[in-house]
Amino acid sequence: MSEPTTVRHATSRAAWLPSPAGRAVLRLAQPPARRSLPGLAAGVASVASAVALLACSAWLITRAAEMPPIMFLGVAVVGVRAFALSRSAFRYLERLLSHDAAFRQLGALRLGIFARLLPLAPAGLSETRRGDLLTRLVRDVDDLQDLPLRVVQPLATSGLVAALSVVGVWLVLPAAGLTLLLSLVVAGVVGTLVATALSARSERALAPLRGALADDVLEVVENLDVLTAFGALDDRLRRLRLVEDRLRRASLRRSTGAGVQAAVISLCAGSATVLALIAAIPALGTDGFSGPALAVVVLVPMAVFEVFAMIPPALSAWRQVRSSAERVATAVPEGVPAEIPAEPALDADCRHDTAVVAAPALSSGTIVIELDGLGASWPGATHPAVAGVSLRLAAGDRVHLAGASGAGKTTLAQTLVRFLDYTGSYRIDGVEARDLAPAQVRRVVGLCEQRPWLFDDTIRQNLLFARETATDADLLDVLDRVGLAHWVQSRGGLDERVGERGALVSGGQAQRIALARALLADFPVLIVDEPTANVDAGLGDTLVRDILSAAGDAGRAVLLISHTPVPAELLTHTLTLTAPTA
Amino acid sequence: MRPLDPRLLKHASAARWFLLVGAVLGLAQTLAIIAFAWLLSQSITLAVNGESFARLRGTIAALAGVVVVRAVIVWLLEVAANRGAAAVKSQLRSAVLDRLAERGPDWLAGQQDARVATVITSGLDALDNYFARYLPQLLLTAIATPILVLLMLWQDPASGITVIIVLPIIPVFMILIGQATQVVQRQQWDALQRLSTGFLDVVGGLATLKIFGRDRRQAARLTDLTDQYRGRTMKVLRVSFLSGFVLELAGSLSVALIAVSIGIRLVDGSLLLGVGLFVLLLAPEAFLPLRQVGAQFHAAADGLAAAEEVFAILEDDDVRPVATAPAGLPTLPTRAGVLRFDGVTVHRGEATPIDGFSQEFSAGQLSVISGPSGVGKSTLIGALQGFVPFDGALWLDGGLIAPGDSRTWLAWAGQCPGLFSGSVTTNVTLGSATVDDDLVATALTWAGAGDLDPTLHLGVNGAGLSGGQAQRVAAARAIYRCLALDTPVLVLDEPSSALDTDAEDALIRGLATLAAQGRIVIVVSHRPAFLTAADRVVQLKEVAHV
Repeated sequence: MSEPTTVRHATSRAAWLPSPAGRAVLRLAQPPARRSLPGLAAGVASVASAVALLACSAWLITRAAEMPPIMFLGVAVVGVRAFALSRSAFRYLERLLSHDAAFRQLGALRLGIFARLLPLAPAGLSETRRGDLLTRLVRDVDDLQDLPLRVVQPLATSGLVAALSVVGVWLVLPAAGLTLLLSLVVAGVVGTLVATALSARSERALAPLRGALADDVLEVVENLDVLTAFGALDDRLRRLRLVEDRLRRASLRRSTGAGVQAAVISLCAGSATVLALIAAIPALGTDGFSGPALAVVVLVPMAVFEVFAMIPPALSAWRQVRSSAERVATAVPEGVPAEIPAEPALDADCRHDTAVVAAPALSSGTIVIELDGLGASWPGATHPAVAGVSLRLAAGDRVHLAGASGAGKTTLAQTLVRFLDYTGSYRIDGVEARDLAPAQVRRVVGLCEQRPWLFDDTIRQNLLFARETATDADLLDVLDRVGLAHWVQSRGGLDERVGERGALVSGGQAQRIALARALLADFPVLIVDEPTANVDAGLGDTLVRDILSAAGDAGRAVLLISHTPVPAELLTHTLTLTAPTA
Repeated sequence: MRPLDPRLLKHASAARWFLLVGAVLGLAQTLAIIAFAWLLSQSITLAVNGESFARLRGTIAALAGVVVVRAVIVWLLEVAANRGAAAVKSQLRSAVLDRLAERGPDWLAGQQDARVATVITSGLDALDNYFARYLPQLLLTAIATPILVLLMLWQDPASGITVIIVLPIIPVFMILIGQATQVVQRQQWDALQRLSTGFLDVVGGLATLKIFGRDRRQAARLTDLTDQYRGRTMKVLRVSFLSGFVLELAGSLSVALIAVSIGIRLVDGSLLLGVGLFVLLLAPEAFLPLRQVGAQFHAAADGLAAAEEVFAILEDDDVRPVATAPAGLPTLPTRAGVLRFDGVTVHRGEATPIDGFSQEFSAGQLSVISGPSGVGKSTLIGALQGFVPFDGALWLDGGLIAPGDSRTWLAWAGQCPGLFSGSVTTNVTLGSATVDDDLVATALTWAGAGDLDPTLHLGVNGAGLSGGQAQRVAAARAIYRCLALDTPVLVLDEPSSALDTDAEDALIRGLATLAAQGRIVIVVSHRPAFLTAADRVVQLKEVAHV
């Protein structure tokens, strides 16, 4: 079942300007000037050629009608042909250059978002972790590509060429330049601002109806069996028709506003031509203002308005890019809340993983973890999620962390791997954990998450990133320890893919693969968070047994989090967590 | 992709209406274009030839009039496109919903239901662009282009012939280049999707990457991959942008050719300025619709893809009869108060999940059907409900249950709670014309949910309740129907899978009471508590698959 999306429609709060946080995201999406300028220059050359082509043709024909010796037309003939070619050639160049710049920026954009996500994950992103919101975030990041291609490029080129044309016409006949400017401004203001207001109003009217319809349709489609069985289907469909009918009638009512923008721009374009005629005809013969010049100032506005037509779609693309940027900025805030330990920033070439950060060295050999009055809070929460936890964990220990749901078991796990900061004391071999780099703590304390994330790759790759030097024999060995050897063999070996988010493997198999991965990384302390949460009840016991027997060897300490009982003979002791009283 | 899918006209009469209105408006727009070009070329020619402003006032006023008319037509065309899109979407949506009601849940189970819901809501919105941007241009290509070309041929044959020669080059080149790059483009599109999924994978698995200390290296890989992708894509784009290049070149070069040729003929006096300017203004207009069709092709493809999915649903003629009528079965002397399955067999493609199931369930008993998962317990219930076609016969109280009968004698709760937005009471009384608050309270208590507030408001799909609460409300809904309509049969499919032992015990007590009232109570479950409490346990075993 899919949940209704809460961000179905972007509100048009301030339809034009981004918030400061949104601006920071937009900066990531826009290529630097040195990359975007060549494409921009080619774009201006192409659009200017289109205007020049019409101007040149108009001049050529009108001048030719005066029947001068043909050699006087030579330059115009060459100009017409050259502008026809350069318009298409520069357009081709523009598209290549601007796409290249945009693709280059896409890498930087993804890296920038990644760099902001990195210190927050996972504790600072609890909202974003929901599947649909995560997908939304990635789609928003993809949509930000439109900023250079569909917003900046067309706005800059059309704006620049329109301005150049106004100046050009002004030089030939100031009055005609003025009327062209006037028409452009009216088209710009009325055609875009009014149209935006109209479409925002229509969106406000339609969005709730659309949402209501989507919810109703989803309920009917997903529960068709229930509705049929209870004889309620006809009634429900009648209700759905009413909603659908309201949406249809609202759409029809709103349709009158839809064409306003196109009509206004068409009207302004025509007016520009008519006004140019009115300005130019009386001026004919004065100051050397000739027939050919008249044809130029009268016809150029037509070409300019063709250029102007790029602006409305660019502005609507801008509205989408802007709301994508705002959503990204909200989902991935800059800066790290106090509840999350600070991590070193992603360095420039980011080739090195943080495991090699200078910090107090940990003694090799058996590791002891001591918690004393440990407490932790989630970002934005008013009360701590765990408080006053004391525990000693040494090699060979197999501890069951019990407690009702909401008692803070997962919080404790996230704190121990330094996804959350703590109060009180958390010592690893006598060294306070906050004096170590978080990545260094994570080399000692490993975690098998409640919902392990499998990467959309082969089983081999999903294991290898825990230890790159592992041979296939190592991998098969560790799969055997978690009871997956036969399964892997029957499924086509290590090259079998696990599917997007592990879709091709069952919940229990995913847990076992994740455990194999953790064993391969050889963490001295391993936390396993609710391994049976997504597993059939009958299989849960076997899985817990397998985990404890596979992990509880070689001087490793295991902390097993589970809300269901664990056979006592498998454990060294049990710690029961209760939620701190607010 | 066909330029215009005839199925659209077949399933949505509003599309036919739009084509008609659009054609009329397209014709009007063509006339306006011609009038504008003619009046403008006349004004310029007369002015250049020395006519005074005063004598041109009429022509310019007419030109201004055409400008206004043209803007009105533009507006009308957009309004018609928007109305057409809204009406077509509404018609297709209704048609799909009718289809769903007609075909029933078993047919829907073969579709992806979330996909169906998306297609008929937001998916169809992609038709907006198809109607607003693509279809009008397609109409103009069919209407304006031939008229303008004929007009140019008549006014200045040389220019007309130039256009006739160049025009076909555009689609031919676009198709050629399109074919040449199609395969590579699809590969690149897939690569782009993979890259995007890869980013999703890295972002979603960030915590895991951090645990294993691989977060930074993953970032480097991300940049490398994007960079490689860029390199390959730019190679493809160099070719595929050529189609746009040809499109523009054909348009602008033919205008240039026409302008130069007109200029030369003006010099030797074989052509008049008025005609020359008129033809020069018409030439780009002849190319414009075709260029727009090319440019809007992708927007159109999105809309048609959504419509395509709707057509697939509407034209799915894989008709499975709801149930086959048993032929030549003797009327068995079944006693009153007995539900009898007689050789019930369900075929699912090649497989036969239920093969010759024969059992009797008696009133006054709590019967439990048990068996390993995947053995077809829910399929059996589906057959009982009339959702799943089956061979064999079903008898109740000595009467044969005809395949298409409405199941007014049955109250049921499925594995998924299937709740709706609204109060707990509206959920529990689903399908009942009246609300009996006392009965609601009883039903909730017997379902082990006596502590739940009946006025509590639920969100879409029953959001706001825990899994266990939702399951109990669903059970209460079946119990309410059983009590309100006095149905002789109550069937619950895995009603306690999310319940704790206390709630399960309460539910079992409630069901025992219902059975004691003389009803046939059947529960599908493998929970020990139910197996212990049952008066009768039917074990369903796995059948050999064909």
